[in-house]
Amino acid sequence: MKVKKKTAMLVSFTLGTLLLATTALADIVTKSGYDQLKDALKVTAEQSSDKFDSFTMDFSIAMKDNGTTLGTINEIHKYDRSKSASENISSRERINGDNDSSQTYSDKTTYIRVSESDPTYYVTEYPQERKEEAFSNPFKEDGADDIEKIADAVVGSLKDHVVVTENSDGSKGLVGSLTEVQIPSLVNAVASFQMKQEFNGRQDDLPHLTKDVFVKEVKGTAKVNKDGVLESILGSAVLSGKDEQGTVHEISVEALFKISDINATKVRKPDLTGKKVVKDTAREYGSEITNPEKFVGKFKNDILLEKDDKFVKVGEQIMEISHFDNQTLTGQYYEVYKPGFEEYANSERNFKFNAKKSDQKNSSEFEYTTESGSKRSIYVDGHSGQVYLNGVSMSRGNLILDSSFRPDLE
Amino acid sequence: MEKIIEIENLTKSYGNGRGIQDINLDIVRGDIFGFLGPNGAGKTTAMKIMTGLIRPDRGDVKIFGHSVTEEYELAMEKVGCLIEIAESYAYLSAFDNLKQLARYYPEVDHQRIEEVLELTGMSKYKHEKPKKFSLGMKQRLGLSAAILSRPQVVILDEPLNGLDVEGMIDIRRMIHHLAEQEQTTFFISSHLIHDVELTCNRIGVIYNGKMLNVESTQTILNNYATLENYFVSEVERNGRVSSCAR
Amino acid sequence: MAVFQAALVNEIEKLYKKKKALVAVLLSLAVIVIGQLAIVGVRSGFGLRGAGSVEFPMLVLSVVVNTVLPLFTALVTIDSFSGEYSQNSMRITLTRPVSRFKIFTAKITAIVLFILAMLLLLLIFSMVVGFMFNTNSATWDSLGRTVFSYLVSLLPMAVLALGIVLLANLFKSGISVFFISILAFIVFKVLGVLFSQYSSLFMTTQLDWYNLFLVNSFPLGKIMRQFMIMLGSGIMLFTAGFYLFDKKEF
Repeated sequence: MKVKKKTAMLVSFTLGTLLLATTALADIVTKSGYDQLKDALKVTAEQSSDKFDSFTMDFSIAMKDNGTTLGTINEIHKYDRSKSASENISSRERINGDNDSSQTYSDKTTYIRVSESDPTYYVTEYPQERKEEAFSNPFKEDGADDIEKIADAVVGSLKDHVVVTENSDGSKGLVGSLTEVQIPSLVNAVASFQMKQEFNGRQDDLPHLTKDVFVKEVKGTAKVNKDGVLESILGSAVLSGKDEQGTVHEISVEALFKISDINATKVRKPDLTGKKVVKDTAREYGSEITNPEKFVGKFKNDILLEKDDKFVKVGEQIMEISHFDNQTLTGQYYEVYKPGFEEYANSERNFKFNAKKSDQKNSSEFEYTTESGSKRSIYVDGHSGQVYLNGVSMSRGNLILDSSFRPDLE
Repeated sequence: MEKIIEIENLTKSYGNGRGIQDINLDIVRGDIFGFLGPNGAGKTTAMKIMTGLIRPDRGDVKIFGHSVTEEYELAMEKVGCLIEIAESYAYLSAFDNLKQLARYYPEVDHQRIEEVLELTGMSKYKHEKPKKFSLGMKQRLGLSAAILSRPQVVILDEPLNGLDVEGMIDIRRMIHHLAEQEQTTFFISSHLIHDVELTCNRIGVIYNGKMLNVESTQTILNNYATLENYFVSEVERNGRVSSCAR
Repeated sequence: MAVFQAALVNEIEKLYKKKKALVAVLLSLAVIVIGQLAIVGVRSGFGLRGAGSVEFPMLVLSVVVNTVLPLFTALVTIDSFSGEYSQNSMRITLTRPVSRFKIFTAKITAIVLFILAMLLLLLIFSMVVGFMFNTNSATWDSLGRTVFSYLVSLLPMAVLALGIVLLANLFKSGISVFFISILAFIVFKVLGVLFSQYSSLFMTTQLDWYNLFLVNSFPLGKIMRQFMIMLGSGIMLFTAGFYLFDKKEF
């Protein structure tokens, strides 16, 4: 009897352990639909950035309110990795007739842009060859791992809502759908709040949902080809809610993403013959300013005062740069007030600065220390020809001061 | 005579060197067996093994022929016991405490519960919760629990603990009553020599974890002036033996 | 069997005569009331629906399954084992003609019944509250899934209880068992987030396994695997717990 009891305990413990171990192993090996989708995305991103010579990506979004189309966005991106060239055609239509479409082309030395509303071809030429990849793998960006972990945690137990069907040719179909009961309430609440804020922005053509907003349904289908590359993914979501009049709106958003013409896409540079062309050579590329001496001189902006419901100019903020060579920047700042407003002048706001380029790479920040010992910075924007001086924009009384300075060319 | 409890080669040693060694003992029907020994002699250890609270290193206890270690339910079927301190659930009334135990015996009904409470003098406290009880009252409740199922064997560890004189007399009277009326066999441990002399009809002395001798109270009193004399001489003899062995 | 039944009835009686069970019930109901108030707040404050009549019980479940239920399962389990060890009241039952296996099983059965009762109570109360205060969104399908979700939550909770039983038989003091349980719970939760590919192995993730029954396609394979994992760990924990309980000296 005693031996029997011990044996029984041993057998049942072993049985439990075996059951646990084998299923656990099987479970780890078995990939959920969500994991397979993630794998497909990774494979696709990797192949697109490393292996495919060329491909076309289609991206479109349509938004409907109770069946009426509110707007659509269509984008076609063509990439030719071998030539580092890409072509981009995008168009958007809105229910209020605010339609727009544009086309861009980019390769190592040129960037061309044209839009429907302005049929001028803006061409930018780069004196130095650009090193940018036509398409970079988003999974290799910094922090992608962390984002993936967070996504995994958020998706959590919803992973198994993605159902995979395997076809005989090795391709796979993935389908997932979530209705209101299946969406965790917290996720639903946060998502609906986000969407509600989005819709209730300034766009007048969107219905303003004020009550009973909730995510009603989320659906998605995806196709993965036999090489594990995601060929298409279609997602849709329905948001339900009431506007102020109590009318129920069901706003659906559909998004489609497709990859096609792998290794068969041709990126064509637009033919500019006979077109209206505005040419331009790329100015600064990166943070180095090509001819820094243009920033030596007087920069200013107006000091305003709000008085009797009007803005009145009461003086000028002036920045005199005496030396600038991409490494150091010296000069002084002072304020000049118009007669009648001298009482606003303040000697504290009259100082010299001797700033050095910050250690950060690719930054146009210059750091200096004030007499009181606090660290301040100056930004030099070669592109817009402006200088930003931090720490002088705080308002005093009704005075309106600004931190951006433009060259005084008069 | 019918052997009710058979203890064979019972051994259990603790890390501190205490415990019991090779105890052999037979209890027959009608015995009011007094298990006499000083504190720490191994009385409670032996009784805990008898009631299945701890497992022996070696040996076995059979009650009505069923081994305590292997056929516990059968062995304990006709046994009532009270080990060390009388425990009860503080959040249940005295009556509910007994009701809990009654469920294990199909023949015990509410009337029987009332009966044992009456027998131990606990009737008037039956709806009170033991957290307010004195040690003596708890002990009486524990005794009620031990005799609840009309057991044929009752194992009591220091049953008079915490009782006042009146209580001691009551309990002793109850033991004699049950032994006479229901032929209940008792196994009672105590370190109070006088008490054992008054209650028991057979006495076994345990000292340092070893059984020294088992004799009927009558025989002892015939040969020795008092039970105390017997106890002292037994212990001394044992001491001599063990010093010779050394 | 009659003996086991007696042991089980005793355990249940002890459970419900103690104040803890009542506190557990009241606290669970408080969770529902607070939850409903929060939703009404969200509805009027942010204009969100918060939860419909059927989503409300699911919201309650998703909250209690990770908070109140494990907490009270732990308290009741620790009380049933560590509590009786420390007060020596385990002896009362142990010296009766009932084997330790039956006592152990009866204790666990009583705990499982307690969890079941809590789940049913939460289900009924949250449904009533849900229908009273929220816009009706019920369909038979969603209603059925809700009830099912509550019922299947019993299994992981029972496995959790078995885990705590093992701890209660390993460590002497009930307080240390309680804190070790809570610590283990948090550690498992964190591990589940950090190693999400292995998360299905963690007891704490299994608490959410009812979600699998909400999936339209009914992922039988996954459900079976989760079930087997829980069954396996349940058997293991039960056996280990009983081994210690059987060896214990009182």
